[in-house]
Amino acid sequence: MTTVPQRPPLVRSSDRMIAGVCSGLADHLGLPVKYVRLGMVLASFAGGAGLAFYAWLWVMVPTADESARRNARRPASPIAPAVSLGASVPSATTPAGTTHAAPPYAAAFPNAMAPDTAASDAGAPPKAPSGQVPVFASWFSLRRIPYGKEILLGAALLVVAAILIARQFGVNVPLGTLIPAAAILGGAAIAWMQLDETRRAGLVDKTKADQAGGWVRLAAGLALVVAGVLVMVSGSGSWEQMWLALLASVAVLGGVALVLLPWGLKFWKDLETERSARVRETERAEIAAHLHDSVLQTLALIQRRAGSEQDVVRLARAQERELRTWLYRDDAKDSGLLAERIAAAAAEVEDAHGHAVDVVSVGDAVMTDRHEALVQAAREAMHNASRHGGGAVSVYLENSDAGSEVFVRDRGPGFDMAAVPDDRLGVKESIIGRMKRHGGSATISSSPDGTEVRLRLPAENGDKAENRNEEGKA
Amino acid sequence: MSTGQEPRTVRVVIVDDHAIFRSGLKADLDSRIDVAGEAGTVEQAIAVISEVRPEVVLLDVHLPGGLGGGGREVINASAPLLASTRFLALSVSDAAEDVVAVIRAGARGYVTKTISGPEISDAVVRVADGDAVFSPRLAGFVLDAFGTAPAEIADDELDRLSARELEVMRLIARGYSYKEVAKELFISIKTVETHVSAVLRKLQLSSRHELTKWAAERRLL
Repeated sequence: MTTVPQRPPLVRSSDRMIAGVCSGLADHLGLPVKYVRLGMVLASFAGGAGLAFYAWLWVMVPTADESARRNARRPASPIAPAVSLGASVPSATTPAGTTHAAPPYAAAFPNAMAPDTAASDAGAPPKAPSGQVPVFASWFSLRRIPYGKEILLGAALLVVAAILIARQFGVNVPLGTLIPAAAILGGAAIAWMQLDETRRAGLVDKTKADQAGGWVRLAAGLALVVAGVLVMVSGSGSWEQMWLALLASVAVLGGVALVLLPWGLKFWKDLETERSARVRETERAEIAAHLHDSVLQTLALIQRRAGSEQDVVRLARAQERELRTWLYRDDAKDSGLLAERIAAAAAEVEDAHGHAVDVVSVGDAVMTDRHEALVQAAREAMHNASRHGGGAVSVYLENSDAGSEVFVRDRGPGFDMAAVPDDRLGVKESIIGRMKRHGGSATISSSPDGTEVRLRLPAENGDKAENRNEEGKA
Repeated sequence: MSTGQEPRTVRVVIVDDHAIFRSGLKADLDSRIDVAGEAGTVEQAIAVISEVRPEVVLLDVHLPGGLGGGGREVINASAPLLASTRFLALSVSDAAEDVVAVIRAGARGYVTKTISGPEISDAVVRVADGDAVFSPRLAGFVLDAFGTAPAEIADDELDRLSARELEVMRLIARGYSYKEVAKELFISIKTVETHVSAVLRKLQLSSRHELTKWAAERRLL
């Protein structure tokens, strides 16, 4: 709290009665939301200033989600540190803005907590997701009233009742102006809310069911506005004139639409082209950034270490691996699975000893503690193979319903298992012992042509090892 | 198979868009191989192959030019020559769809570009003799695509591998050479080659669309 409190960005909040303008404004200004709402209502009576202001903010201020998304579109940070000689997995793959990671108290103290949240995290909106709000309801009694919309509706009905009563007592209320005006306002509100939601839905997912409801609402809003405008303009409620006016206005609208249609389509197409061009450009920038941080750096390093063959090979392998991961990896799908862990272990060994470790894997399995042991044992076997084999190491991982098997093979001179002294823990403890403790087995066969370690981990009850290959066929 | 046969030379054409790689590969190939031509694009490759009529074409999977189909397009265009000219695909790409696509187009084998000089020479000679060349990775793809369970008796034989074929594929995936596979299974190298060719045939002819779907879906290493 040493720095000057920074204001949270002005966004429309998801905690809303109509469009979230007031609560967003309250957060931004650091005022209780009820005062803002009250002020807005009072200002509405000053010649409709409040209404105009509200509408303006509604159109211009993005929702919290939109704002977060916009911030998240910032150029991605370099995917991975250049040629990290440690087997570092690309971090920071989740865009900051998409997680609603804002701490819950940020909702309760929107202003006070701002320095932490607003300054540090690019996208996190200073609003908690709706589920967390009720805890703090006691802070502002008006803040989160249950049935807020219903109360609003009730208030509107009360106003109508008051007007009717006033008429009974002979007060001259200009109903002919009030009703169409109310209709226009109501229609516009419905249509605008709709705009908000389609925008959100369009960005998240396009479900047809939602769209149908949206169209109905749009049509209802439009009908209300048109009817209101017509009544207002024609100045009388007679049906005859209404129909004529309606017909005329529809004809005019149709004519205008006909004239503007090609222009509108062209405009839309241009917009689409521009948008896709921008997407491409962003992608290109991302690729360029990645290449710069990885491939170009490695090439520079290779030129400087051209004398050492082993260094060059190591650098090239590390870079190749990193690039392949970047190009082909589907990080939504296979993170934390066995095949990936084995590949990571192989990368680590490759970096440590400078000999290629080629991994071929068939199927995949979900990691468990037992699989963790399998990975550890496999890593130890790869280390041995790379250290003593003195050449490329082949690793083969096969997962099936029966379990998982890993084969690690090198082309070294081989060794005699019986001749390995008992105090050498590498093979006996880290590989054989570890596999046995977890219900698996390890066999080592060595000949002058090379050594092969075979690790077997039977499936537990047959259902733990999920064979993705079989799954894909179903 | 690789040594001790009659000392003949195999005429090859190298197709790769990187001149550096072509010259490096030429230097790596041993005396059994005679490089009769080179090409850098799809069009050049098709022209050179039909003119030179080599026994083996060392073909990069990713090639510029043509309709954008790369090595697959070259094989398709040279289809009339497939009886006398054999294709060995050579790529830096490990992507399953690349590998499977070029094999299904008619290539007799697939090796990665990091393969050593003697190994690639052996592979060329083997392909020239009508055998198939499987790298560990290709064997892994095959096992992944066909499944690791052996074929039932009444099963559609093109869609499954026999128990013996599975064994051979597994050993190749584990990094065994054909000779080592033969020793391990107590069979002759010729038998190993027969099994591998049978697997290649299944890979090329199997109509199960899962195979291509599988390849397209998993862009695994």
